[in-house]
Amino acid sequence: MKKPDVKIVLLGDMNVGKTSLLHRYMERRFQDTVSTVGGAFYLKQWRSYNISIWDTAGREQFHGLGSMYCRGAAAIILTYDVNHLQSLLELEDRFLGLTDTASTDCLFAIVGNKVDLSEDQEKDEVSSEQASSSCVSTKVPKQVKLEDAVALYKKILKYKMLDEKDVPAAEKMCFETSAKTGYNVDHLFETLFDMVVPVILRQRAEGPPQTVDISDYKQPKQAKSGCCA
Amino acid sequence: MSIKAFTLVSAVERELLMGDKDRINIECVECCGKNLYVGTNDCFVYHFLLEEKSLPTGTATFTATKQLHRHLGFKKPVSELRAASALNRLLVLCDNSITLVNMKNLEPIPTGARIKGAVTFALNENPVSGDPFCVEVCIISVKRRTIQMFMVYEDRVQIVKEVSTPEQPFAVAVDGHFLCLALTTQYIILNYNTGLSQDLFPYCSEEKRPIVKRIGRQEFLLAGPGGLGMFATVAGISQRAPVHWSENVIGAAICFPYVIALDDEFITVHSMLDQQQKQTLPFKEGHILQDFEGRVVVATSKGVYILVPLPLEKQIQDLLASHRVEEALVLAKGARRNIPKEKFQVMYRRILQQAGFIQFAQLQFLEAKELFRSGQLDVRELISLYPFLLPTSSSFTRSHPPLHEYADLNQLTQGDQEKMAQCKRFLMSYLNEVRGTDGPNGYKEDIDTALLKLYAETNQDSLLDLLVTENFCLLTDSAAWLEKHKKYFALGLLYHYNNQDAAALQLWVNIVNGDIHDSTRSDLYEYVVDFLTYCLDQELVWKYADWVLQKSEEVGVQVFTKRPVDEQQNSFNTDDVINCLKKYPKALVSYLEHLVIDRRLQKEAYHTHLALLYLEEVLQQRPSANGKGAEAATTQAKLRSLLQKSDLYRVHLLIDKIQGTGLHMESAILHGKLEEHDKALHILVHELKDFSAAKDYCLWSSEGRDHPYRQRLFHMLLTIYLSAGPSDCELVVATVDLLNHHATEFDAAQVLQLLPDTWSVQLLCPFLMGAMRHSIHTKRMTQVALGLAKSENVIYRCDKMKLKGNSVWLSDKKLCQMCQNPFCEPVFVRYPNGGLVHTHCAASRHTNPNSPSPGNRT
Repeated sequence: MKKPDVKIVLLGDMNVGKTSLLHRYMERRFQDTVSTVGGAFYLKQWRSYNISIWDTAGREQFHGLGSMYCRGAAAIILTYDVNHLQSLLELEDRFLGLTDTASTDCLFAIVGNKVDLSEDQEKDEVSSEQASSSCVSTKVPKQVKLEDAVALYKKILKYKMLDEKDVPAAEKMCFETSAKTGYNVDHLFETLFDMVVPVILRQRAEGPPQTVDISDYKQPKQAKSGCCA
Repeated sequence: MSIKAFTLVSAVERELLMGDKDRINIECVECCGKNLYVGTNDCFVYHFLLEEKSLPTGTATFTATKQLHRHLGFKKPVSELRAASALNRLLVLCDNSITLVNMKNLEPIPTGARIKGAVTFALNENPVSGDPFCVEVCIISVKRRTIQMFMVYEDRVQIVKEVSTPEQPFAVAVDGHFLCLALTTQYIILNYNTGLSQDLFPYCSEEKRPIVKRIGRQEFLLAGPGGLGMFATVAGISQRAPVHWSENVIGAAICFPYVIALDDEFITVHSMLDQQQKQTLPFKEGHILQDFEGRVVVATSKGVYILVPLPLEKQIQDLLASHRVEEALVLAKGARRNIPKEKFQVMYRRILQQAGFIQFAQLQFLEAKELFRSGQLDVRELISLYPFLLPTSSSFTRSHPPLHEYADLNQLTQGDQEKMAQCKRFLMSYLNEVRGTDGPNGYKEDIDTALLKLYAETNQDSLLDLLVTENFCLLTDSAAWLEKHKKYFALGLLYHYNNQDAAALQLWVNIVNGDIHDSTRSDLYEYVVDFLTYCLDQELVWKYADWVLQKSEEVGVQVFTKRPVDEQQNSFNTDDVINCLKKYPKALVSYLEHLVIDRRLQKEAYHTHLALLYLEEVLQQRPSANGKGAEAATTQAKLRSLLQKSDLYRVHLLIDKIQGTGLHMESAILHGKLEEHDKALHILVHELKDFSAAKDYCLWSSEGRDHPYRQRLFHMLLTIYLSAGPSDCELVVATVDLLNHHATEFDAAQVLQLLPDTWSVQLLCPFLMGAMRHSIHTKRMTQVALGLAKSENVIYRCDKMKLKGNSVWLSDKKLCQMCQNPFCEPVFVRYPNGGLVHTHCAASRHTNPNSPSPGNRT
């Protein structure tokens, strides 16, 4: 099995379309998915790098696994459903805490999925009242605007105590996508891939991560001291 | 999708253990090599020897023979057993105490060394001490929230470390310095050396029994929420996606590449490679599932069973048989590290090939091609699927066991013509690609022959490309096939490639003659001519020369005229060719033109012959001159040009021939060749009355000669003009024209003598002016030259004066500049720079260029 060079994790409430997004990107099509159990991952060959993308389970039951999946992640995609305000709020309430284990220079992307189900933004602004009263269209006005995502992004930066100048601009990191139509999906993933490549290069330059420590050389000393004492 | 990865076989029957005593239950098992140990609730340890036998069907059976059993002297059940084969010790946990007993006779060791206060324990399979006669044991202590590490030797134990945990631990596994612990509310990784810990994920160990299982270097398998089997490394990272078990899983084991889990009713098998569930075996009341060095043991409270893995190859074959290519390849790739490299490569290649054929049969050609390529398929395997494509002489036999189930393409496509065509197209493109690589060494014949057959059958133009480039098509096989498909032109190419030009030509000639039909080339005749032109076999050229010339003299003659020059010179005798061409006058003319004009052969016979042929033609064409005026004119022009430019033909012969034919111009040229300019000009002026031709004659006849020669010609012409007398008005005009336009060609003084006095100055004005100008110009030029010569003379005289002007003193003090000796005689040489030398030194200086130069002598 090829060793991944870097990890990207998809987080978000259940049923916002994390699996579908990943599926759309990897398999180039949209299909109904069942609720993800535990998690799954794909290995994506991007130029000469192997990028592992973890799809996590949104269900509350598996919430505890999130921290482990995020550990050492180079980028985290926080996903919400543009038609459910709650799913955006959940990101801050439940999921942001999970990202504490990610690497310190972790990138964050905020993705509003399922834009195919709502009306265009401009239309939305002009005639939101009309649309809601008439109910002719099956499409509903978007509940979450891009500005809300941008606001969340800035909150995250505060939470992480990051300076806006040191990280990519909010406008670059907030996406609206549709896994169903494929809208913006490639753009999302490929933007992130391009951003993590420098991380990979930095990691390579620094050598293997210091967390794995067999400590072969410390043990004999310990044994001796134990013996003499 | 299921697969049969394991079979469940019984190892220890209930009777062997407890007979009919119902109360006795199995508490734990240990398996070490052939030794199987069983611990019971009545504090007995049983030792069995396991004998593995393979049945002819390929499955294994186990028979256990009881060696002995021993009561440990407690009233508590034996809760855990671990063998330490290097120490020949069995570690037995009973009544919270780990005792060491001899592996062979189960006797407690004499020293009575033991670890007290252990709830459960684990061996470090990745020990840190490096001492082979020492086992590292980690226990969960009866003390709350305490873990202890021990070193266990043959007859003593030693505590190494005690660490306390934030919560009560329930299960432990060890790898190096890392402990993987199931605590009350979560799993953690704890480095007992540094004390650093890493949270993994929350899990409520009190509600559900945790599982902590070391599966390899620095990686553990843990029971997670919702029946997940979670993988975690010591770094706290998950590198594999979780497997999905049932909620009530009791135990887990690893048998690469499978994760096996046990619950109340089933044994489930998941692949670590794709996380899919692969097999489910019903197994009721199981309560122990463990793997021991690759052997997976399950037990109920009454019997012990072994899960025998089917050989990976068999599993893969099963997958392939059900056309599950992806899974088979994943499994095969996953098996890489468990199989010796050499063996693996052979196996893997074969699997790739088989997978390729499966894709091929589903017409998934892209995938098939990739698999064939990476599996380094002997292309003949593929070719042999297509009936009749392999040459009859091919020694190929399909590999055994077969790579696929198909007899041939007909069976595979079930006669569907469209599919058949697709398969053929695929094979063509595939073979074409394979040809370009180094791969097919040794069976290029088979490939090229097959390709030729496919091309012929499907009417591909590539057939011709194949045959005209380097190829290895087998002659007999290919020839028969091409004939069958009426590809006669291609057949000819094949013969040619195989150095059978005669056969090739015969075929092509037959096609051109219409004896056999093949419309590949509409210009086949030209092709044959071209072919013969470059054919090195003279006999063949002679053989078909008549045929090509009969078809077309002009084109046919190219066989001789267009041959590469270097080859022509030393092989074809020109006289033979001329002899051959006698029957074909046009061809003969072309050939002679080729010899005389293109190759510039300086041989009188050719020049004369050609001239005569031209002449003949001109004479022939003249009677019917009206019809083909243009043609006649070109021939005549050619004749004239030849007569003018060549000096080799026999002039007298031609003059004889031309006499009385009225070809004045030609006879004028001929006379000119004989230096009979008088006659020639006479003809031009009087017979032909072509004055400009007469003037041109003067010009070209004198080309390359000196001025007086030309002047003589012009004067000759002038004389002829004037001799006719002033009555001939035409000639007068011609005379005036000649003089006025070519004033410089004449000697004006002579001309004036000749001219009639009556002619006005006005008339001859341009001539006179030209002559005057010329004369004055000449005079002035002469004066300039004279002046220059005079002044040059003056310069020389001046120099001479200067040199002579001063006297030279020669005394005995002066030394010769060259030999540095004094002068003994009054004779010396003086250089223009004043240097004096001996005469003999000056002489030797000229013979010896190396001697120092005193300056140039003037």
